[in-house]
Amino acid sequence: MDVFGSFSLLLAFVCAVYAFIGGIFAIKTRHPLLIKSTRQAGIATCVLIFISTISLEYLLFSDNFSMAYVVQHSNRDLSTFYKVAALWAGQEGSLLFWSTLLSVYVISVLLVYRNKNGELMPYVGVILAGVQIFFLTLNNFVENPFKTLATVNAAGVLAPFTRMDGNGLNPLLQYPEMVIHPPNLYSGYTGFTIPFAFALAALLARYPGEKWIHLTRKWTMVAWCFQSLGILLGAHWAYAVLGWGGYWGWDPVENASLLPWLTGTAFLHSVMMQEKRGMMKVWNVWLVFSTFLLCILGTFLTRSGVVSSVHAFANSQIGSWFVGFILLTMAVCIIAYFKNRDYLKSENMLDSMVSRESSFLFNNLLFLVACIAVLSGTLFPVFSEWFTNNRISVGAPFFNKVMIPIGLAILFLTGVGPLLAWRKTSGDSLKRNFGWPLVVGSLSGIAALILGYRDAVSAFCFALCGFVTWTIVMEFYRGAKVISARTGMSKMMAAHELAMRNTRRYGGYVVHFGMVLIFIGLAGAAFNTEAQKAMNIGDSLKLGPYTLVLQSGDTKVDKNYTAQRMIIEVLKGNKQIMLLYPEKRQFQGTEQAAGTMVAIYSTLREDLYVVYAGMDPESNVPVIHAFLNPLVKWIWLGGVWVVIGTLLALMPNRRATLVLSAATQLAAAIPGTAALTPNVTLREGHD
Amino acid sequence: MANFARPIRVKHMAFVLALLVFASAPLVTAQVGYSQRAKEIGTHLKCMCRGCDMSAGLCAHPGGSFSGPCDTAKAMLKEVDQHLGKGESEQQIIDAFVSEYGTVVYVEPPKRGFGLVAWLMPVFYIVVGLGILVFVVRKWALRPSTLTHAPAGHAAAAIDPNDPLARARAQAARETED
Repeated sequence: MDVFGSFSLLLAFVCAVYAFIGGIFAIKTRHPLLIKSTRQAGIATCVLIFISTISLEYLLFSDNFSMAYVVQHSNRDLSTFYKVAALWAGQEGSLLFWSTLLSVYVISVLLVYRNKNGELMPYVGVILAGVQIFFLTLNNFVENPFKTLATVNAAGVLAPFTRMDGNGLNPLLQYPEMVIHPPNLYSGYTGFTIPFAFALAALLARYPGEKWIHLTRKWTMVAWCFQSLGILLGAHWAYAVLGWGGYWGWDPVENASLLPWLTGTAFLHSVMMQEKRGMMKVWNVWLVFSTFLLCILGTFLTRSGVVSSVHAFANSQIGSWFVGFILLTMAVCIIAYFKNRDYLKSENMLDSMVSRESSFLFNNLLFLVACIAVLSGTLFPVFSEWFTNNRISVGAPFFNKVMIPIGLAILFLTGVGPLLAWRKTSGDSLKRNFGWPLVVGSLSGIAALILGYRDAVSAFCFALCGFVTWTIVMEFYRGAKVISARTGMSKMMAAHELAMRNTRRYGGYVVHFGMVLIFIGLAGAAFNTEAQKAMNIGDSLKLGPYTLVLQSGDTKVDKNYTAQRMIIEVLKGNKQIMLLYPEKRQFQGTEQAAGTMVAIYSTLREDLYVVYAGMDPESNVPVIHAFLNPLVKWIWLGGVWVVIGTLLALMPNRRATLVLSAATQLAAAIPGTAALTPNVTLREGHD
Repeated sequence: MANFARPIRVKHMAFVLALLVFASAPLVTAQVGYSQRAKEIGTHLKCMCRGCDMSAGLCAHPGGSFSGPCDTAKAMLKEVDQHLGKGESEQQIIDAFVSEYGTVVYVEPPKRGFGLVAWLMPVFYIVVGLGILVFVVRKWALRPSTLTHAPAGHAAAAIDPNDPLARARAQAARETED
């Protein structure tokens, strides 16, 4: 099986090279057979990569301990569930996994557009093959996951060698989220390859700037959704497993995942400028180029160990490969742009500073500044070492101080932008649109202060959350009122109908609402408290309204680990609420042997987060570390809304015909309403 | 295998204000061997165990057999207490640690010397970004509004044969479908 996997990986490389070189000839000669054969080579590349991944999974499942990768990242007692995750636990496997997820996108694009866009697809195919060649080079020649163990035998000859058992999977990864977080994040990273390929292809094929936007709109949303979900799942993993009471530490790899998300989000907004007004075509092309490059940079930071991080599992030589690929991609983008930039001519024109257009410009400015600030902060230790020979660390407090104002400004624009009209907003409409949201926002801020959230920045954040929420509610209400008046539907049904008619706009609002919930959760972090105590049985620890009483401890033996478990009674006032069971796990077969299982009592108001830290080294008494983290649950709820919103935005718009015919009948029956009906169609597709 | 570094725990809103909340709730008991004040100052010092990326004050040392402050962090906090005993200020203590361990001990860059660059960078980006934005907006606002925008992607209606962009647009529309 290892030979099989290894061979298909090599064959995939050959096919990708053919798809690339053949594709270039196909573009030059326009020979239909050559075009077809390179497309099929592209499909074959993907299939071969799938086969090779399945082979590696098979080796993991069949406990083949003659394979170096299996020995390093699995063991016999590892549960089936985590054997799946062992695929991306190490350097070689995760790079193969990158290729695999990229192939899912590539094969989808090649199949979906196999009979469409005949002139553009060869370019797209060549670019996708180019990216695949890079990763297949790493898979085959630099970090091959199919290496077998060998030892020098008695005769002095190198001979294959099989171990009895493996080292096991890193305990930090033995947690359910670790089975879904990396695939999501990687799907985000790889997904941005598609809009990148189309943007570059359209530029090379000398298509005007708007074409690729239409073709890749949904692909971009899919990638963005995966990226968002991946980031949130990673945060939840950090929260639930690492036992430090937080979910985001501005770790270099966390930052790396945020960078393409920031530019990708900017891009999702600025495409609307292009679609509605024909503006910013050059900007959009560069945004999507940068997003792709940041995805590669993110993979590089994660995998090269250039910056120290929880995720930098291995330091290796792949750094220079990534730098080379990034520089090459940049060069191609720059050359293509300067050769064909005439085709990106935009009709840039601005009627007023107070308009939807300018709010998009500010949105893009803030997202870009956020991105560059995070990037330079992450790389600052490296810079400082270059310039001064002293490495200056940059930690979470720095990022918080820099990013909180930017984040709040973006939140403010989330509320303002949708209320501004395209082209020009009149003073009257400003008053009409912003009056109530401002009132609701101020009341939310005051309510937060009264409820005990006494922190200026947080109160301001809550006020903005109220403001944005109310603007979203108003948008739905206004649209629903119009539909309801015309069709006689109930307001709720009308709101649903409204969302289905323009899924992208209203899906966007749902995503915004999700972001509001996330901001509420983040603002809660200003009120975190904690307590730590070495406790004997029967001792108690007070934290906020809760009293924790250590009842007893026991030992739990699982196939793959032994857990020490503390049983803690939680009292609120004098009433018992529940029992919590924080654990410390001792895993088998690894150097990094210990893992914490945090016990969390989570409510909308706060999380009671209890860690059994281990035995106190001096007194040999169990130490309990408890955190009271307000509002954390809102972050995860916000994530759910973000996904729902994106799914809504991905749905096709429902045509208004049914309603139109009903409305026409209505109009016929009631004279004087006829003038209203054409508006139904006019509103459609209006962002 | 590798370093399972873990960063400093997060305070998403106003770190300093959050610390005030900490200060108002003196919860960590004296039995741990260092004072609450040392723990606060410890949040501005990086734990030097090289196994975690957290601050000494908040070290939880994930992956270790004890998820509390590790021995290095504890020693650092006790050292802070010794400095406090000598009546030194927070800044003096941080400076003492920097001369002992080097600049890696910072949790956030100092607002002087090369560290100041880190703090000025975001301000610089905002200023430059706003400058570019204002420049672009002015340029765009000055354009004559007679320039009408053809609906994106569907401009095939009237093609001016002399306009290469219109020709390319028509060609792209012919060759592709959404």
